[in-house]
Amino acid sequence: MRYFRHRRVAGLLLSMLAPTLLDGCGSLQQDIDVVLPFGPSQLVVEAYLEPNALPRITVSETQPYLAPVELPIVTDATVVLTRANGIHDTLFYAPDIDRVTRKAYTHIGRRRLTARPGDTFGLEVYDTQGRRLTGTTTMPAAVPIQKVEWRFNNETGEQRKAYVLTTFQDAAGIGDAYRLMVHRRFLTRDPEVEYTVQDRLTDGQSITLGTSYDFNPNDTLIVSLFHLDTPYYNFLQSVQDARSANNNPFAQPSGVKSTVTGGVGIFTVLSVQRQNIILRE
Amino acid sequence: MFALAQAQYTLTGVVRAADTHEVLPGASVAVPTLTAGTATDANGSFSLPLPAGEHQVVVSFLGYQPVTRTITVRRDQRLLVELPPAANELGEVVVTGSGTLEQKLQTTQMSVEHLTAREAKLLPALFGEVDLLKTLQLKPGVQNGGEGTSGLFVRGGSSDQNLVLVDDAVVYNPAHLFGLFSVFNPDAVQSVDLYKGGFPAQYGGRLSSIIDVRLREGSHEKVGVSGGIGLISSRLAVEGPLAKGKGSFLVAGRRTYFDVFTRAINKVNEGSADYSPIPDYYFQDLNLKANYQLGRKDQVFLTGYYGSDVFGFQSDGGFNFNFKWGNTLGALRWQHTFAPRLYLNTTASVTRYRYNISNALDEFSFDLASTIRDLSLRSDLEYHSADNRHVLKAGAALTSHTFGVGRLQAESVSNLVNFGADVNYTGLEGGLYASDNFTINDKWQLDYGLRLSGFHSGSDTYGGIEPRVAARYTLSPTLSLKANYALMYQYIHLVTNSGSSLPTDIWYPSRLSVKPQRSQQVATGVSWLLGGGKYLLTNEVYYKWAENQIDFKDGAQLFANNDLDSEFLFGKGWAYGNEVYLEKKEGRTTGWIGYTLAWTKRRFPPQRGTTGINNGDTYYPTYDRRHNLTVVVLHQLSPRFNLSGSFIFTSGAATTLPQGRFGFQDVLGGNNNAVAVPLYPNRNTYRLAPYNRLDLGLVYKLRPRHGESDLTLSIYNAYNRRNPYFIYFDRLEDPQTNQTTGYRARQVSLFPTIPSVTYNFKF
Repeated sequence: MRYFRHRRVAGLLLSMLAPTLLDGCGSLQQDIDVVLPFGPSQLVVEAYLEPNALPRITVSETQPYLAPVELPIVTDATVVLTRANGIHDTLFYAPDIDRVTRKAYTHIGRRRLTARPGDTFGLEVYDTQGRRLTGTTTMPAAVPIQKVEWRFNNETGEQRKAYVLTTFQDAAGIGDAYRLMVHRRFLTRDPEVEYTVQDRLTDGQSITLGTSYDFNPNDTLIVSLFHLDTPYYNFLQSVQDARSANNNPFAQPSGVKSTVTGGVGIFTVLSVQRQNIILRE
Repeated sequence: MFALAQAQYTLTGVVRAADTHEVLPGASVAVPTLTAGTATDANGSFSLPLPAGEHQVVVSFLGYQPVTRTITVRRDQRLLVELPPAANELGEVVVTGSGTLEQKLQTTQMSVEHLTAREAKLLPALFGEVDLLKTLQLKPGVQNGGEGTSGLFVRGGSSDQNLVLVDDAVVYNPAHLFGLFSVFNPDAVQSVDLYKGGFPAQYGGRLSSIIDVRLREGSHEKVGVSGGIGLISSRLAVEGPLAKGKGSFLVAGRRTYFDVFTRAINKVNEGSADYSPIPDYYFQDLNLKANYQLGRKDQVFLTGYYGSDVFGFQSDGGFNFNFKWGNTLGALRWQHTFAPRLYLNTTASVTRYRYNISNALDEFSFDLASTIRDLSLRSDLEYHSADNRHVLKAGAALTSHTFGVGRLQAESVSNLVNFGADVNYTGLEGGLYASDNFTINDKWQLDYGLRLSGFHSGSDTYGGIEPRVAARYTLSPTLSLKANYALMYQYIHLVTNSGSSLPTDIWYPSRLSVKPQRSQQVATGVSWLLGGGKYLLTNEVYYKWAENQIDFKDGAQLFANNDLDSEFLFGKGWAYGNEVYLEKKEGRTTGWIGYTLAWTKRRFPPQRGTTGINNGDTYYPTYDRRHNLTVVVLHQLSPRFNLSGSFIFTSGAATTLPQGRFGFQDVLGGNNNAVAVPLYPNRNTYRLAPYNRLDLGLVYKLRPRHGESDLTLSIYNAYNRRNPYFIYFDRLEDPQTNQTTGYRARQVSLFPTIPSVTYNFKF
């Protein structure tokens, strides 16, 4: 379910009004020159740790908004990961793009990560310019997918569509959030369905998340359920809010809620469950 | 030998318009030979002490022919006067009317603007829709929230700090279509008073302004129909007498119809490739006013209003979105006259504002709603002393509020998904006041009063003492000095985190951590009557400071939140400025020039685990506009042609633009490509370009066989200025590779030149 937040309602309304307003009068938009003051550039980190995988993180930096588009690689950053057992592990600087996932990484570890729910990890990134970023995170409990079902509508041929329901048990305690994604065949494509919910009203209960009639018979789907803790959820929401504030005159733009200090970005342990299904009748 | 002192008697009465039989508040009742005079009050009543003997009483009012009556005073007497209009109701510029500017000079009441529907109808309007609230934005000290919005920001106060009253009933959201139009149908409205400062003790509950709207009563003589057909909406009003002239009624309705056009356009486009249906939108409202004379001393008045806005959207994908909001209110007032100078008004009213958003997509539905409902009772006593040097007022008011905040219901057809949240609060608000308008001598007049207010909401009780003082010193017959001070409390709050007034803004009571807002305002001014009484020049300086202002934390969760107060942040606000105002109300050319130089600031320090707003530093809210200039001119070209023009210039609004950005890849499955995420630093440090606009209007009186009619032409934004509505950043793409090559700032404007025609009629 989408929890319509105040600003998003307004954004939705404006996005509906906007075509009406702007279509008929195309010249109501014009390019202007703005001078945007830019403070010192900050370190940006995207670090998703996964159990049983090599730790790979991406370090970059912030840029002035209107700067030319180029990869802001930080070449002199040192990344130290503190594992659950207290050992400090310095990651290697090896910028590369993973061929399968097509994600870019700048630093990689040599030993696979052992992580159990409740383990705490630390991160420190510093460079020769004096910038230093730190963060800690705890692995959230694993939330398995209890079942995935699908229902077809009563149409035939091209109109025959199905929706998918994913059921799982919410972890006890308020503060959990879940991100559901449904992909067709490959995770490297944009998801067909993607949204995030919190457990404010359904704490400790069985939760069922649905989609609309988006899928065809015999579709091969990958359902992914991410279990997010509150800081990760806040980061994702604030990133979305910041991006949508661009086009929305009703919004009050606000800052991104990083889970690290001394810079911008996210440091978290991913807790994800995936299930492959084929929509047979 | 006895020397008989001249006996003083009191002449009381009511002044009405001869054509509509409506009362005329603010009419002048004078006896020139005695240099005695007074003005009628909001009910059209006056009270004038006169010595025994024969006198010539001159009664006059703007837009009407003055009437002179010779009376012989031997005891307390009653005089009912009807003034014939100077010209027809529709479209003529007001001509003679002695004393109105003089009254403004003489009264202690400063910081107030008075507007009648007649004046508003002559000014050019957006889409041809006459709007009283938008016309108030043309007065100094009043700032609008944005292009086309009718939210008012008075002397730096936010839009929830305005008390909007319709015949003493509160209106919570006086806007249709996100503020593009106000809920007041000009056919139903008699007048609007806007108080910016120096608030009389009978008003309370909001910090920044009182907008007192009075509806017309309807004709006591015969049934009349009037209305108009315009570009986007039409209006119809029916009025007439009740019980052979003992009473009268007025019913006025309005509806927009561009949903009819948009649906037709949608049907035509349905087949085409990139068809995106234009959403449905319409609003309608209905006003009702009735009054009845029960006896010589009693009169009852009934007021009702119903309005609704509907915004709907349906896509082929089975997505159904429906957004409905509106106000409903009713008020019943009983006026009892105990004696010629003592009367009591008791009003019972009920008002409800609610909105409802329902989403349905295939099997799932999702409803969001919020309501506020008030039940109110108030009683006001007014007494004029025999020598007319004191006007004493006292009264009490009690309101029971019920707040339904953020009600949420989500379910699916097969009931797999079913949960909801519903938070309800109640509050009891009360006020007790007494005031005296004391004419000390011919140089000094003082209006002093005290209001005691209180609020109880479940767990907590709050209260306050609100002193109100205003003084006027007459330096000469053409020059007076004024000053006022007012302390105000506000117990219920509109929590909004945007500059515009959105229907989804939430009304919230003071409770727990949310304390009542409090403000103090001092103002001082000079009024100077120039050009033989034709021009009035006023200059007013004010300083206002407010505490316990409310705003939201970044990323606040507004819905499905049983603990909404934890999302609020609290801070202080200041506003100060200078307003210069030159007006001319007589002659063939009338109008005004107003210039305001003002600052508004807020500061929300770090609190509740956040860094506050703007890191706790002082910042400017979006509606802080340094300079504000308006020039309004109305000119009667000939008996059938009236021209009008209004020019507005305001400094740019404050807005937040991103300083930097970073690249965000997201996890596997999230985004296919990395996206740029903007970083917003301090709030509102960027200023948009200044806003300026010229509107022109023409009213052409037709000569139909029956009744009256006119054609009103309006050109909004005559020189097609692209005023900034907001700025956003567009991504530039290489057309072949679809890669981002850069970013460009773009400014969006809302309205180009918009001409419109409205046909108005009256039988």
